[in-house]
Amino acid sequence: MTTTPRPEAQRPAIGHLSRRALLKGTVATASGGALMNWGSLFNSASAAEGVQKQQKRCILLWMNGGVSQFETFDMKPGRPTGGQFRPVSTNLPGIQVCELLPKISQNMDKLAVIRSMRTSQVDHPGGIHLMHTGYSTAANIRFPEIGAVVSKYLGRERSDLPNFIKIFSHGNSGAGFLGPKYLPFSLSPEGRLPTFSTSNRNSELESRRNGLRNFVEDVFAREHKAETARMHREAYEAARRLQNVHQVFNIDDEWEKNRDLYGDSAFGRRCLLARRLIEEGVPFVEVGQSSYDSHADNFVWHRSLLPPMEHAWVGLMTDLEQRGLLKNTLIVWMGEIGRTPRINNRSGRDHYVRSWSTALAGCGVKGGLVYGASDKDGIDVKDNAVTEGDFFATIYQALGIDPKTEHFTGVRPIPIAPFGSEVVKDILA
Amino acid sequence: MNRSVLFPCVALLVVCGFPLVVHGEELRDSIDHQLAAAWKANGIEPAKPSSDGEFLRRVHLDLLGTIPTHDEAVAFLDDTRADKRKLLIDRLLNDPRFAEHQGEVWDMVLFGRNPPGYGTDKRDEFQAWLRDQFAKNTPYDQWVKAILRAEGNTIDNGAPMYFVQYRNEPEEATQAVTQTFLGVQLQCARCHDHPFEPWTQLDFYGTAAFFARLRVVDIGKKNKLTMYAIGERNTGDVLFTGPTAEQVVGKKGEPVKPKFLQGEPLVEPELSADFKEDRNFPNGKVPPSPKFSRKNQLADWIARPGNPYFARAVANRIWAQFMGRGIVHPVDNMSRSNTPSHPELLDQLARNMVDHKFDLKWYIRELVNSRAYQLSGSGPVEAAMPQWFEQARTRPLSAEELLDAWKVAIGWDGIEKSSGKKASEDRYSPLGSGYLVQFLGRPNNGVGDFQGGLHEHLFLNNGGIGSLLSQSKGGLHHSLLNSKAPWTERVDQLYLAMLSRRPVKDEQERFVEFLSAEENSSGRLQEAIWVLMTCSEFRFNH
Repeated sequence: MTTTPRPEAQRPAIGHLSRRALLKGTVATASGGALMNWGSLFNSASAAEGVQKQQKRCILLWMNGGVSQFETFDMKPGRPTGGQFRPVSTNLPGIQVCELLPKISQNMDKLAVIRSMRTSQVDHPGGIHLMHTGYSTAANIRFPEIGAVVSKYLGRERSDLPNFIKIFSHGNSGAGFLGPKYLPFSLSPEGRLPTFSTSNRNSELESRRNGLRNFVEDVFAREHKAETARMHREAYEAARRLQNVHQVFNIDDEWEKNRDLYGDSAFGRRCLLARRLIEEGVPFVEVGQSSYDSHADNFVWHRSLLPPMEHAWVGLMTDLEQRGLLKNTLIVWMGEIGRTPRINNRSGRDHYVRSWSTALAGCGVKGGLVYGASDKDGIDVKDNAVTEGDFFATIYQALGIDPKTEHFTGVRPIPIAPFGSEVVKDILA
Repeated sequence: MNRSVLFPCVALLVVCGFPLVVHGEELRDSIDHQLAAAWKANGIEPAKPSSDGEFLRRVHLDLLGTIPTHDEAVAFLDDTRADKRKLLIDRLLNDPRFAEHQGEVWDMVLFGRNPPGYGTDKRDEFQAWLRDQFAKNTPYDQWVKAILRAEGNTIDNGAPMYFVQYRNEPEEATQAVTQTFLGVQLQCARCHDHPFEPWTQLDFYGTAAFFARLRVVDIGKKNKLTMYAIGERNTGDVLFTGPTAEQVVGKKGEPVKPKFLQGEPLVEPELSADFKEDRNFPNGKVPPSPKFSRKNQLADWIARPGNPYFARAVANRIWAQFMGRGIVHPVDNMSRSNTPSHPELLDQLARNMVDHKFDLKWYIRELVNSRAYQLSGSGPVEAAMPQWFEQARTRPLSAEELLDAWKVAIGWDGIEKSSGKKASEDRYSPLGSGYLVQFLGRPNNGVGDFQGGLHEHLFLNNGGIGSLLSQSKGGLHHSLLNSKAPWTERVDQLYLAMLSRRPVKDEQERFVEFLSAEENSSGRLQEAIWVLMTCSEFRFNH
């Protein structure tokens, strides 16, 4: 651990993107990257709206603790590892999912399910870092979370809303070496703004105080060019701009009429808020649900967690589709680990990463696809193993961000998805 | 020799790698000569020397973890003695807060904000013990040895607390000990030989074998706190038996034996054939010493002067603490692929560290007396930690430094005194550790460090530091509001109290205009204080 309040504590490692890499990254960013400054380019609301619909974004549905593949997308009926739930048929011929996912079963045409995940970190902290960054932890490199990378490439400069928002946050890798500008903005499990988010000063006094503060900051900036101080100023501006958009976070006005669509649950409310934020142009929103860490009573836990989750998930896809946003919004569904084939003596399943499942939807992902397969007991991957690197490369590709784009920490190049990762092309249209 | 001849010679010296160390020279001068040679060789223009105000604030924060008071600032700025910086440094090094602050810095090095557990998040005794080592200026090698030998218990002398955090985790202890005290990173070799460093799995587990017999023993309670002692068994080994390729199926290999990093195997006396180990250490009893302590052998090897890593690691770490980045950076990753920016300087620092018997106060005194440390933080360099040390670094204050500096700035001591109430014993009073650490100190970059961002400003903007904006008697606000002096003077006082310098002309004009715009200035004065508390100039040490 490097854990001192050392001088570099807050600064990003040297590796901001090189100019060359930025150019590569931007070119590869089909619609998004070239539009990094789009907010300031448009005066006409309708033109901006048109562009906004093109703008790619991402919602991560994070199943904290590690959702079971056997109780969701990779059932093993009749096998000793199968568990107690029954499979149901879906709107894809020959494909079955768990009976706990009735709504998903009728929306499989929108999903690409991967049944052949094989990842490298089997515990929670390691897995949470891995499945937020694509990398295992390293003592000397601070890897950014996917949300930070997406907000760097698809985020809008000087937007009122933060570019990376987490509702019920898990993981603390944050912006890593990309620097504080790309840190997540975390909301409570209820979607509430963090403590101290609301100014209680009247706007006249606030603006008077701000005028003096800007003067002081300008004086300092005349002589001091350090990037940390610049980022500090930018974050202050962002904190003030946030005051303009508080109403976005309050979903009460919309909840009544969307309650049935999303399901009357905390996760449903989080998903509705995520849709609102995406619609407002936030490029990355993570929505957490916890906890699937079912070492005991695996079936009870999944029976209580999955129904509200799948209801909200389907509601979210339906809502986005109706608003014309699903084609540019990638939904990623995953936890940090899968669960063991073996059911332990407490009716639980433990941690497992040799073979497990994730799912993608929207944003050019082929719907109606089941990719890869595990063997008959779900012990190992039978076909087309997908590593964490491949998975992240595929996500970035879908979002129009070249997964080979490199950042530098010192002279060491760090590609957005780890070296040797391959985009799973079959999943992308 | 005229100048035009001398310059290429200096450049040549650097290129050819001749020693630049001049014998008999003080370290501070040697540092300056060597950095200057590198600037010349690389065509770098260093920043101008720091102003008195800049230096005053910087050295206070670095040595004491807080800023000077208004009166201290005035006294220093108006002091006309030529050696006033040197005198100030001497005074600060003898201030009790020096030991407190350095103790806090090292406590974070050793435990981090979120230690692995087992009650180590509350470790007042360890912190007091560490502070005491700085107060007594115990040589670094000696107090490190005490931490690694871990004798006594966690309440009576504190030092054993270090190993409590790695209970039953010899591999974690291996990583932490080598990284912190030797400046090397073995973690890759935990699972495979390092691809381009000399570290092998045998190095990793050879070191882990020294820790494999350690047990954390709960030996009772004192003052309602659990006392831990570090016991060491006479038997027991790491589970690792060597690289996979060398293993024979169906055969249990020999566990890896202790071996000093990149050095000799440990020579251990044989246990007698009829030796029988007692069952595990029972709770409530002080564990007996082993017949032969592997741990103590390692502690002595790590902290001996001839250890090739130890002196370099600490010289480099403390260099980075004061100069911004390490000569090898990050400081705990010294390796073939991460070479020093100034190799001869680092060699010299390490050598001097040994020659001066690991006297950290001596070393820190040399660093902060160097012209390099006293360069200005203003200039064109955008890197917060300039590569060639050509401009002072810009580093954010830790949560603790910020709090302490705020309290000095707004006269919290005076407010507490005037209130007649007893001063709080809470280190985080009056803000409380909860919010302060959450918004300004909790690690949020995945490896134990804090990065500031939006949340921090929301905290500062919307009431988080309200209790420090007190209008009570004894504080800065009260004294300025009730002063009969003209606003120009009062603005001087405000700047001296908060930023340890006098305002420049446009600052003074702007603040006088702002503060005198209404009959009742109270609200505006509070706003001005808030502005200076939250501005970048305050937030960073530069």
